[in-house]
Amino acid sequence: MHLLLVGISHRTAPVELRERLDFHAGGVASAVRALAARGCAREAVVVSTCNRAEIYAVCDDAEPARADLASFLTDFHGLDAATLKPHLYDLVDLDVTRHLFRVASGLDSLVVGEPQILGQVKEALTTATAEQTVGPLLNRLFHSSFGVGKRVRTETGVGSGAVSIGFAAVALARKIFGGLNGRDILVVGAGEMGKLTALHMKSQGVGRVTIVSRTMSHATRTAEAIGGASVAPWEDIDAVLSASDIVITATGALSPILTKAHVEAVMRPRRNRPLFIIDIAMPRDVEAEAGEIEQVFLYNIDDLQITVRENMARREGEIARAQAIISEEVDKFAQWLRSRGAIPTVVALRNHFEQVRRSEIDRLEPKLATLPPEAKERLEDITHLIIEKLLLKPTEQLKALGGDPDTVGNYAEVVTRLWGLDNLEGAEGERRPRGRVEPFPGPKSRSSGGSGR
Amino acid sequence: MNLVPLAFYAAACVAYVWHFARRQPVVGRAATTLLGLAALAHTFVIGMETMQAGQIPITGATSAISTFVWLLALSYLYTEMTTNERAMGTFIAPLLVALQAIPAVRPGVDSPPPVLRGPLFSLHVSSLMCAYASFALACMIGVTYVLLFKEIKAKHLGFFYARLPSLQVLDSMNQRAIALGWIFLTVGLVVGVIWTSNARGDAAGIADPRVQAISLLDPKIFVALVCWLVYSFEVFAARRIGWGGRRAAYLSAIGFVIVLLNFVPISYFVTNSHDF
Repeated sequence: MHLLLVGISHRTAPVELRERLDFHAGGVASAVRALAARGCAREAVVVSTCNRAEIYAVCDDAEPARADLASFLTDFHGLDAATLKPHLYDLVDLDVTRHLFRVASGLDSLVVGEPQILGQVKEALTTATAEQTVGPLLNRLFHSSFGVGKRVRTETGVGSGAVSIGFAAVALARKIFGGLNGRDILVVGAGEMGKLTALHMKSQGVGRVTIVSRTMSHATRTAEAIGGASVAPWEDIDAVLSASDIVITATGALSPILTKAHVEAVMRPRRNRPLFIIDIAMPRDVEAEAGEIEQVFLYNIDDLQITVRENMARREGEIARAQAIISEEVDKFAQWLRSRGAIPTVVALRNHFEQVRRSEIDRLEPKLATLPPEAKERLEDITHLIIEKLLLKPTEQLKALGGDPDTVGNYAEVVTRLWGLDNLEGAEGERRPRGRVEPFPGPKSRSSGGSGR
Repeated sequence: MNLVPLAFYAAACVAYVWHFARRQPVVGRAATTLLGLAALAHTFVIGMETMQAGQIPITGATSAISTFVWLLALSYLYTEMTTNERAMGTFIAPLLVALQAIPAVRPGVDSPPPVLRGPLFSLHVSSLMCAYASFALACMIGVTYVLLFKEIKAKHLGFFYARLPSLQVLDSMNQRAIALGWIFLTVGLVVGVIWTSNARGDAAGIADPRVQAISLLDPKIFVALVCWLVYSFEVFAARRIGWGGRRAAYLSAIGFVIVLLNFVPISYFVTNSHDF
């Protein structure tokens, strides 16, 4: 039994191909259903985001499953195998674990440490669980990855600092004002950049948004696009400015529209209440010297970009610490995986004992027929109890082996030989291979129904 | 006996600095726990000293410092719990360690002379202790405000930006601490004046040259008045002329330097009247 991953990501495939492999188009749920129907995997989860399309599966034999999952990708999306092949990667067992832990922690993301990916991985598991294609192994693997993602984010700085201009501006505003609730915004200029920044701020719950532009009709149009924003004439700019906390300037003016003297005059009636000016115009709308005024925080587009770059570099610097956490967690998962190695032997041993007990009771059935029902029940109980007591110690010992797979293998071999478990047939007439877990835990009709396709 | 709280304060200090640098939640919780233990041990020590002297150990500069450290630790812990903000601990804990080192190396509690017994004297000293603890907190908050302010102004968002709460939060914490401290300081000074006029009249006071030496020109009293003026200006300026933010932070820092000057070197070496 193996963990297997087949997929593409922003590291291996261009955006055109990633778009074509986006499972959301055809529905992630229908993809996992189709995957289950192929029968090549015992468990399966599809993780699909704009930056990756990956299938996590549990299969008996990695080689054929790998080929089958690759052909599933081409079949499902109607792609040519030759187009996909150079961009496809596959991983097996602990490499899959490590990869998923990296993905959930945001280390494999386009923007290192971005937080959305953890939610997307959770959603992938929820969808697959609803489709009943998740068994104990993937369930454990994914839940472990959630823990790792959370740990990496709290214990390292890979998720800290804003890494886009909009977020950097919002983060700065929060650092100056505490919360953005009730903070009033003035947007000077009715262009696209100003509108986008104001929209971003608005989504963060700011108070009143006022647009001031030399052309009233432009200001009105932008205010409508933002929704709930008000418009003020150009002549009232000083009055609005002195009542605002955050100012976004984005006009096409060739010379500064806010000089140091201008801002100084505005600050007086404000009694030095902080004023955060974001100048995203090019050429700049606000005289750089205005930033020297006490309680005026002036950032232009370059300053914000530098902040973003610094944050990116800081996140990169935290990767080593995150990797160490991931390695530690992969070891823990490996330990758990190994401890599962003894389970089939334990199950086979218990089945064997139960078979012996059952056949002996069946053999004695004619002699026992005369017994009253209570006595028969008692006999069942006592024989069960004897088996439980006999198997308690060996079961505990086998489960406790954990660590080294060779030791588990040797023990399993000895137990199998001593009790002749090799020659036994399972309850469904099928021999249990070592390490096999239950297939899709859903209704049996699903896999049997699918095998016909 | 004062060594036990000192050891806990030192351990808490190390943990706070470590937490500030590495931001590990476990270390942060350990720091708070250690400071809590330090405050608990300190409460026990002060309780013992109270039993020994018959009143809270506030007479004598050494005992007063110990009580001040205890009050500061408690008020910081209260601030941390109400704001859920640990960053300030990094700045407060070293002060606790430095000041607690004085009673730790100069132990002993003197039984207060008869002239210093009575509710008015206790109220005078306790009010001033509470004022000083508030000013110490305000000073540390002010220092952190300036550090963060400078980073944001310089557009170099680094170490403090990632660790400290917002400027607005720091500013309002500073102003609250100053307002509270100012009330305690005013009460302490007014009660001090009343106590002096009473003490000068009774027999024990007449016999004690220190009571007779109490005057506005005594360095301790003079500097205390300077403190009152500085903090009064800060309270007024923040509300009336927009001297909040960085200016208030600087005033808090300057004010506390004067308080500290009055509290340690002047108490030990210069004053003629407050040499109890």
